[in-house]
Amino acid sequence: MRHQPFVADGPEVVLEADYVVVGTGAGGASAAVTLARGGARVLLVEAGPWRDPDDYAHSTYGTLRDMMDDWGATIAVGDALWPVVQARLVGGTTVINSAICVRTPGDVFAEWQRDHGVGPELADRMWRYQDQIETELCVEETAPPSLGRSNELALAGDRAGAFGGHVINRYAKGCLGSGQCLQGCRSLRKQSMNLNYIPEVVEKGGTVLSCAPAEKLLFEGRRAVGVTGHFVHPQSRKRGASFRARGRRGVILAASAVHTPLVLLRSGIRGPAVGAGFRSHPGTGVFGVYDEPVDMNRGVTQGWASTKYRSTPGFKMETLAIPMEMAISRLAGGGATLMERIAEFRHLAMWVHALRARSVGRVSRGLGGRPFIRYGLDARDMAAFRQGMYHVAQVHVAAGAKAVLPGVHGLPYKLLPDQIGLIADGPEDPRCYVAILSHLFGGATMGADPRRAVCDTRGRVYGHERLYVADASMFPDNIGVNPQHSIMSLAMCVAEDALGES
Amino acid sequence: MCDLMPPSSTLPGLADTGIDTFLVRLQRETSGPTWLGLVLGAILYAVTPVATVGWPIPSFWLPASARALHAERAMSTRFYLLRQSLFLLKMYACMCWGQDTRVRQLLNVAPYPEDPGSFRQGVEQ
Ligand SMILES: Cc1cc2nc3c(=O)[nH]c(=O)nc-3n(C[C@H](O)[C@H](O)[C@H](O)COP(=O)(O)OP(=O)(O)OC[C@H]3O[C@@H](n4cnc5c(N)ncnc54)[C@H](O)[C@@H]3O)c2cc1C
Ligand code: SF4
Repeated sequence: MRHQPFVADGPEVVLEADYVVVGTGAGGASAAVTLARGGARVLLVEAGPWRDPDDYAHSTYGTLRDMMDDWGATIAVGDALWPVVQARLVGGTTVINSAICVRTPGDVFAEWQRDHGVGPELADRMWRYQDQIETELCVEETAPPSLGRSNELALAGDRAGAFGGHVINRYAKGCLGSGQCLQGCRSLRKQSMNLNYIPEVVEKGGTVLSCAPAEKLLFEGRRAVGVTGHFVHPQSRKRGASFRARGRRGVILAASAVHTPLVLLRSGIRGPAVGAGFRSHPGTGVFGVYDEPVDMNRGVTQGWASTKYRSTPGFKMETLAIPMEMAISRLAGGGATLMERIAEFRHLAMWVHALRARSVGRVSRGLGGRPFIRYGLDARDMAAFRQGMYHVAQVHVAAGAKAVLPGVHGLPYKLLPDQIGLIADGPEDPRCYVAILSHLFGGATMGADPRRAVCDTRGRVYGHERLYVADASMFPDNIGVNPQHSIMSLAMCVAEDALGES
Repeated sequence: MCDLMPPSSTLPGLADTGIDTFLVRLQRETSGPTWLGLVLGAILYAVTPVATVGWPIPSFWLPASARALHAERAMSTRFYLLRQSLFLLKMYACMCWGQDTRVRQLLNVAPYPEDPGSFRQGVEQ
């Protein structure tokens, strides 16, 4: 069988393969394709439905409903409440991301080796897979005609202010600059996992079980032999028949940094490291106000980035065109004042920073089995967070913005170029900022010490056999760059090692 | 909710963009916690004029000028949980308003066709 979607009722659906892979996002799809290329039969178990590009939503409303995990309502609870954004469909978050491709920086491996006992050979192995992925997924810079005004302005600001930026490399072939990456690319340019690795797994004899959130792992003694759960209808969210997916040679968990720890916890795997070590790159946008219309939703969603400040103070800067209806909700105020501000929309460009935060949180089971994420930024991270916003404002000013909108509670709505220093000295309280977490790490971290880690550096879960982790939850630290490339290549290493074991 | 986005000289207000139909659909389709958050936000918005404009009556009974002032002040309240609840309300108001074809034309963004809401359903052998 190639695809088993939702089943409403009837007897339990039982499927078997060599490996069960839970989750079909960056990690799951990459692990699965590596197993399939190695000759194994793979059963992919995915919580969300299988939507082809013609099925993708257009609007933000439709995207939240059809593609996001729990309507995008997962929140990290710290001093502030910041949304945690990820997708729930075949292809995972790669369907709704911007497809930015960044190789894992060398210092990440040095840190992993020093602090977590990761072997020195991992860097070369991951970089080799990254070479391969770049070819297979057609990584290229967005061509100038598809950049759009917002990205062009950022490039101009970068040149003027020497911010060390560049046009972004993306998993997108011949991007048309439609600015729809966050709703899924309907023109098949963006290479999300549902367009390449997952079909390849199916061609090689694999099966996708969709609308099938894995609830618990199945064990025979210490050996993982599969997962069970109930189908969930993607529209009505009604629970359907039960399913049982069995893996003769092993089970690989790749349900994301939020959901992999939850599957472990629900299955009774409860050591202190399970759910611990949750990290992220919190980010927020700063708008520039320009004399000429920018029309930021025309042109590629993200076309410019700078990693100049990745090490110190520790953030990355990028352009980001979120859908208009989301962008205007970021403009402060209500009533007539808000409408006046919205009238300026065509002249706004939104650029963001993503912080390489040092703060650490925890994922646990909350009400109704939903994830409960305890996470907030400490004072040092908040200082770097403000620096990040200040630098984004500086790029706007260098690009010719006549004002910037910091979107910070307690600061004026609009700052003139000579006032942007107020952002660097802005409030220390995280509650004054509207940030989101979209790059997530940890929760089932790898490491050589079983007291501090859930799995070893080959993804094998301590205390169990044939149970592996292969997604962002393995990451023991924050990497400071867009993580998809690192997640995919690490998952491929885990899968290669798993094949070698059996 | 409509107080948050009244019509202006150049733009239609939320009431002109099908908010009633939007809310009926949202209640039917969204998750319990999201709907609960919105209802809570709406209640808080209605009962807080006493704190923002000093009128001890619900927001929908306020005279026009006080209503406008309440909309402005409530959104920038210093009470974080209130601000977050109202932000959720505003986010969904903007979502409804911003998907309106006329609004999108005025702001020079491409119109949205209907969301298909479809997915692969049949067993594939
Ligand atoms: C808006 C946005 C933009 C981004 N842009 C970029 C970018 O441009 N470049 C970049 O490098 N990174 C980007 N990222 C981050 C990147 O997409 C993620 O880091 C990456 O996809 C995470 O991979 P993963 O395999 O850990 O999880 P995911 O890709 O999220 O996949 C997890 C999968 O598991 C499924 N699942 C969850 N629970 C279960 C369960 N119980 N049973 C079965 N299945 C389950 C989910 O439905 C999902 O399909 C972005 C993220 C967001 C939110
Ligand atoms: S900008 Fe448009 S064409 Fe380019 S990858 Fe994104 S959605 Fe596809």
